[in-house]
Amino acid sequence: MAGYPLGVLALVAVFLLIYFGLAQRVLDRLYLNDKTALALIAASLLGSFINIPLSRGPIMVSVNVGGGLIPLGLALYVLYRAGTRKEALRALAAAVVTAGVIFGINSWLMRGREPWDFAWNVLDPLYYYPLVAGVVAYLVGRSRRAAFIAAILGVLALDIIDYLVLAFSGVRGTVAIGGAGAMDVSLLAGIVAVLLAELIGEGRERLQGGPEVEGRPRTLLEKLRLSPAKKALGLNKKDGEDRA
Amino acid sequence: MVKTVPKKLFLFAVLLSLALTYKLWVHQRPALVPAFSFKPGELKEHTIGDYSILVDEKDRVLDKMARAVYKDDEFIAEDNQRYRVTRIEGNKAICTPLGKENVSLEGALAPDLNSSMPAQAGGAKNLVAVYHTHSDESYVPTDGTESIPGHGGIFKVGEVFAAKLRSMGVNVDHDLSSHEPHDNNSYKRSRRTAVQLLSKGPAAIFDIHRDGVPDPDFYRQVVADTRVTKIRLVVGRENQNMNANLDFAKRIKAAADAKYPGLIRGIFIGAGSYNQDLSPRAILLEIGTHTNTREEAQRGAGLIAEVIPTVLGITPQPGPAAPSTSGDWKGVLFVVLAFVLGGGAFLIISSGGWDKALARIKQYTSIEWANLLGQRLRRPGNKRGDENEGKVLQYKRVPAEKLPNNEERKDWEKD
Repeated sequence: MAGYPLGVLALVAVFLLIYFGLAQRVLDRLYLNDKTALALIAASLLGSFINIPLSRGPIMVSVNVGGGLIPLGLALYVLYRAGTRKEALRALAAAVVTAGVIFGINSWLMRGREPWDFAWNVLDPLYYYPLVAGVVAYLVGRSRRAAFIAAILGVLALDIIDYLVLAFSGVRGTVAIGGAGAMDVSLLAGIVAVLLAELIGEGRERLQGGPEVEGRPRTLLEKLRLSPAKKALGLNKKDGEDRA
Repeated sequence: MVKTVPKKLFLFAVLLSLALTYKLWVHQRPALVPAFSFKPGELKEHTIGDYSILVDEKDRVLDKMARAVYKDDEFIAEDNQRYRVTRIEGNKAICTPLGKENVSLEGALAPDLNSSMPAQAGGAKNLVAVYHTHSDESYVPTDGTESIPGHGGIFKVGEVFAAKLRSMGVNVDHDLSSHEPHDNNSYKRSRRTAVQLLSKGPAAIFDIHRDGVPDPDFYRQVVADTRVTKIRLVVGRENQNMNANLDFAKRIKAAADAKYPGLIRGIFIGAGSYNQDLSPRAILLEIGTHTNTREEAQRGAGLIAEVIPTVLGITPQPGPAAPSTSGDWKGVLFVVLAFVLGGGAFLIISSGGWDKALARIKQYTSIEWANLLGQRLRRPGNKRGDENEGKVLQYKRVPAEKLPNNEERKDWEKD
C-alpha cells in the first residue's frame, strides 16, 4: 500500500473498518458467535483473492471464494439451522421472490431507464439489491435470517439467469460468481438486508409500542421481557417468578 | 397466523400497485435504455437520438449527453464554470451557475498536510488499471454499428490509452472482460472486474466508455493539429469517494487543459455510483460519441493518457508521490459522520431511548472488549492477572431478588 497518499489510505481504511465492523455485527446475529463471525470475515477477505474457474471459452464462468462460496455456505448454514421447516421454506421462497423481483425491476420496470433511475433516482443499483431482499424477507417472514438468505441466494441466482441469457444468445460474456469478493453485491446485499430487516422490525415495534403478542406461541413470548408480552402472559405482577 | 396473511397480501398488493404506477408514470418520460436486449438497434444507452440537453436559464445550450440527467446533478464545463441542474423539462435540464471552480493541479491538494508530508521516493505504485463496463460500445463510422456485444470498438480505444501509458513507462493492466448483456446489471458484473484489478494495487482505475450524442461535431476537436474527440470525465455522486474522485477528475482536467486545451469536454457529477465506491482514484471516461470515427476517439485517448502519470505522480523517474487532496479528507469525514449519525439513530430506535442507547454503548465497551482482553489476561505465565488468580474463589449464593437490578445486562441479553 506504500505509495498511496495518506488521505486515500485513510479514506479506504475508515470505509473498510466500518464495512467489516458492520458485517461482523450482522454475522454475530446469525447463529454465529463473535469470533466465528470475525474469522469468517477474515476468510471472506482472503478468499476474495481466490477465483476458481469453472469454464472457459466465450462464457467465462468462475466462482470467487470470498464473495461466492463463503456467502453461499453461510446462507446454507443459516438455512440448515432454521428453527422449523416452515422457516426454511419461507426463507427459500423469499430468495426466489427476491431474484424474481430484482430481475423484474431490471427487465420490466426499468426497461428504457438508466440503471440508477430507480425510486426517483436516489439509489444506485448497488443499493437496491439489498433493499429488495430486505423488504421481501420482511414480508415473507419478518426475520433477519430470512433477509440474509433471501439476499445472498437471490443475488447469486441472478448469475444463473445471466449465464442462461448468455448461453442462449451466444454472446461472449463473464459470469464471475461473487467475483468482487468481500465487496461483492452478494455479501453486501446480505449484510444490508439484515440491517434493513432489523431497522424495519425494530422501528415498527417502537411505533406500535412493543412486539405483536396476540396469537403467538407462549414459548416465544416467554423470551420477551417487554410489558405487552408480560401482560399477555399475565406476568405483570410477579415478574419472573413463575420462570424460576 | 390467519390474521397476518391478508395483511401481507395487502402489503404485496400495495407494492405491486406502486410498481405499476411507477411503470405507467415513467412511460411518459423519454426512454433511454432498454434493459434487456442484444439487438444492436435496441441498445439505446449512449447511442440513439434521445439525449439530454443542459441549458441555462436563457436557454443557451451548455452541454449535451446521452445519459439521463437528474435534478441536483452537477457539471463543470470546459471553462471551469460549475452548474447544478435545478429543473427538468422533457429532455432539457435547466441549470443554475454555481460559480467558477478552482481547477488546477495544486488547487485541490490538502493544504495543511501537503507541506508537512515528506516526499516519497518512487511515487505511487507504477500501475494503472483500465476496464470497460459497457463492452459493446462501438463507433458507427469505423465499426459499422454502435454496439458489438462482447467485442465493442471501445476495447481498441482502451488499448491505445493503455499503450500510450506503457510507452511512458507506466505498467497498465487493461482488462478485456465482457460484461454483456448491456443492461441494468452491467455495473454489478463489472464491479467484479474492478475489484480484481484493484486487488493488484493500481494507483488509479479507469472505466472507459463512449457517449451517444448523435452530433459528431459536438465532440470533435482539433488538438495539436489532429482531429480528435473530446473527453468527458464522469464522477458518481452516490458514494463515499465522490469528493476524492472529483478532486482527481479536476486535477486530470487541469493537467489536460494546460497541455491540450479543448480536449476535455467537462466533468459531469451524476447520479449513480459507477463502482467508484471501490476506490478514491476511480474515474469514468467518455471518449467521443458513437458517431465519431474510432480513430478520432483513439487519438483523443492517446492524448489524455499523456497527462495521467503527472497527475498520479507515477513518472518513471523517482519523484514525490501525488499528495492527498482535500476531497480525500472530506471523504473520511463523510464516512465517519455517516457512521456516527446512522449508527446513533439506529441505536436510539432499537434500544428505545437516549439513556438506553448510552447504556448499550457502555456495556459494549465494557463487557465485549473485556471479554476479548480478559482471555489474554487469564493466560498462564501472564503476571498481570488479579490477585485472586490461581486461588479457589468462595462461591457465594445470593438470592436473585437481593442482587442489584441490572438493566444494562438485561438489554444486552436481549440481543
